[in-house]
Order: sequence, then C-alpha cells, then structure tokens
Amino acid sequence: MKLRISLGILMLALASSSFAQKLATRSGYVKFFSEAALENIEAENNLVSSVLDLSTGKFAFLVKIKSFQFEKALMQEHFNENYMMSDEFPKATFKGSIEDFESLDFTKDGSFEAIFKGTMQIKGTDKEISEPVTVTIKDGVVTLDSEFTIKAADYGVEIPAAKKDNISENLKITVKITYAKK
Amino acid sequence: MLKNKLSFLFAILFITPTLYAQDDLLESLESEEEPEIIYAFATFKGTKVVNLQSPELPHKGVLQYVISHRFGSFNDDFLYNFAGLDNAQIRMSFDYSVLDWLNVGVSHASFRKMYDGFVKYRLARQSKGAKNFPITITGFSGIYYQSLRFTDGLPHNETERYRYVNQLVLARKFNSNFSAAITPTHVHNNIVDLESFDNSVFAIGLGARYKFTPMHALNIEYIHQLNPYTFEDADGNIQDMRNSLSIGFDIETGGHVFQLFLTNSQAISEPLVISDTQNSWLDGDIHFGFNISRVFTIKRPKLPSEN
Repeated sequence: MKLRISLGILMLALASSSFAQKLATRSGYVKFFSEAALENIEAENNLVSSVLDLSTGKFAFLVKIKSFQFEKALMQEHFNENYMMSDEFPKATFKGSIEDFESLDFTKDGSFEAIFKGTMQIKGTDKEISEPVTVTIKDGVVTLDSEFTIKAADYGVEIPAAKKDNISENLKITVKITYAKK
Repeated sequence: MLKNKLSFLFAILFITPTLYAQDDLLESLESEEEPEIIYAFATFKGTKVVNLQSPELPHKGVLQYVISHRFGSFNDDFLYNFAGLDNAQIRMSFDYSVLDWLNVGVSHASFRKMYDGFVKYRLARQSKGAKNFPITITGFSGIYYQSLRFTDGLPHNETERYRYVNQLVLARKFNSNFSAAITPTHVHNNIVDLESFDNSVFAIGLGARYKFTPMHALNIEYIHQLNPYTFEDADGNIQDMRNSLSIGFDIETGGHVFQLFLTNSQAISEPLVISDTQNSWLDGDIHFGFNISRVFTIKRPKLPSEN
C-alpha cells in the first residue's frame, strides 16, 4: 500500500514536470499580405493554436484556413473556394524548432533574434523553411514574432494569369504568438 | 497478489511518461482541436441560377447590382434583328444584405414595365462536422407591380396589377464542383387571361451547376408548372404555357459574376417567366441573355487587429 502511494506520487511528479516545460495558446495571430499592381489584399487570423516546448525549443502551430478574415467577404469566399480549397485542406501547419534555444534565458526579461527551422504545410504541400524569429520574454510571458515571405506556387496555390495584377505570387506572412503565462 | 499489483504499477509508470511527453507537438495540437461545424458555402456562384433563385445571398453589408438582358428570339428574323439584340429586354436590380441571412431588394424590368420588391432569407445551412445537416434552405418572396398601361379599353382595378412569387430553395452542394437545388414555387397573379384560370400557379424548379474551373461553371435550370395556364398560339391552337428551360455558363471575376445563357423565357420578372412563357425551345424560340452582378462592400467586416 505504501509503495503504491509513493509510486503514485512519483508518477504525478513526472507528469507535471513534463507539463511545466510547455507553453500553449489558442489565440496566436497570423496575417498575410499581398501587394499587386491593382490592389493590396490582407487577411488576418487570430485563432492560431500553438505549443512551445521550453526544454527543447521545439514548437508547432496550426492555422485554420477558414478563420482568415478579409476586408471583403467575397474575397474570403474566393480564397477558401478557389485558391485554398479549404474544404479539402482545412488547415495549414508548422512543425519545427528554434535554433540555439538552449542559450536563451527564460528567467530574465529580454529579446533574442533567432532562426526557426521546420516543415510548413499549406494546402497539403510540405516545404522546409528556415526564417528569422524574435523571441521576447517579458514578465515570464514568451512571445514569438516573425516576418517572412512565401511563394504561392511552392504550396500548389495557382494564381490565374487574369489575376496576376490583383494577387501577388509572393505573400508576406506576419506571425505573432504570445503564449499564456504558466 | 502483491507481485501482480507491483507489476501493474510498474507498467503504469512506464506508460505514463510517454503519454504526457507527447513528443510530436503538432499531433498534440491536433488532438486538442474541438470539433467544429463546417458550413457549405458557394453552393452556386450567382444569387440566381438563371431565372430561378439560387441558395446564395450576398454577405452582410454587401450591396449587389444586377443588370440582366434577354434578347429577341433566334427564329425572329435573326439577321435583320441582329441576332435578337435589337429586341432587348432589361432588368435592373439592387439588393442589400442587412444580415448574413437576410437580403432585401428592388428592381425594374422593361417587359410589361414591372417594378418589384423582394426579400430573401436563409432558414438553414448545409453543414457537417459537429452538426450535420444535408441541405441549405432559402426562402424568397417577391411582390410585382405591372405598370404597363391597359389598352383594352376595359375598366381595371389597381389591384389587378399585382403578382406575387414565393419560393423555397432546397439546395445541396454534393462536392466542391457539383450542386443542385429543388425549388417548390408558388405564383399568384391578380389578373389572368380567362375567368376560368386559377390565380395561383404551382411549379417545381430544378437547378444544377457544375464548376469546371474555379472561375467557370455550367448551369441548367428547368421550371415545371403543375397547373399551367393555356394560350392560343399563332396557328390558333390552344397550348399549355411552356415550362422555362435555361442553359448557361457562369464566369466569376473578383467582384463580378457574368452569367451567359440561352432560355425560352424572354421575360425576366419571375411571375412572367414561370407562368407566362409561351416560347418553346423546339420551335427555335430561343433567347440569348445575361445577368451581370457587381457587389459593393458597404459595411466592411472588422479584421481581428481592429478589435
């Protein structure tokens, strides 16, 4: 009986210790911006879920395509129906890690420039990416900020010739993920 | 006994860390996702298939302007009438979506100088995921005022100028390319040609679209009357009013939908299309026509960063 209790406590301790290393959120923010001759298009999504493992620097995020909000409802409909086929490919994901994560000190406030690497999946197409990220720690709250450019064609998103003046092939992505404080 | 318990506990001890470690962070995110209701959208491209209402409404805060033409028939002195273009009928329509499920509009059509006002409302949406519902149900009601002067020399009441249409669009998007709709329809004409005619005509509309590229679709629509009126044709024979059949092609370009089609109905106002089509495909009474819509965002949805 005694053994059982102590084992139970040990289990609990193990479980909580591995929990403590992870930060998560469901309200991360992603924006994309397209600049073309005739118009600029932007869309925002603040329902991005993400988890960051503080012990390893591994992190992942998941973006629901239908949660992107546009200035014009019809643009949003065309984005989902004609370009992203979001019924078939409802989400974009990223899985990877922040380089040299061990050298970051999470006990003090500060801001670090780093590189993150991993696999981005959009519209069912995987691509290895490596882009800069700013890791900010303030009052124990960790925030990741990143800006980079992706090419629509890399992920099998076709922009018809007639739309080249409306939609850019290069999309500027802004990511801002603030993890809930432990 | 103790030994059994011990080995059981050890087993738990070894299993537990792997359960909690969740090495794959993405999988852990995916496993935490709550089931969502996934609504079907863009079942048809335009708010009309051709003459029938489609299940679509413009989004909330969007004003839609539709200009429609129906040209003269192909068998009416084709070259002299410039392929029918010299005998054009026109309809101009404005509608606005007050809510995502509620749209109101007004229009004017040249054929019999009709004015109309209408309301279109979505009652249920096709969905899957956390909630399954097989079809989208959309209601439509219009009131039509025929302002063409009476020239028969008989006394007429003002009320005789009114006609009404009620439709219920039952639509299903079977996959991203194919959608179809069944549309029970009721037309009420305050004035009819013969005293023996009923004021109400009931009909079943059938519409379908096949999207063959993201921006192009084929449409077909047929409106079958259950109790058609009759008319006397050019040879003096009594005929049933024809059922309206239209075959068309949609081109979507950003804020426009261009619908080009062939139809045996030259009128554009719904009650006349449904209960007063005298032309027949078989006789070559075919009209080329188009509907062109343009949308204007009057009230812009708020972006997350503005909240």
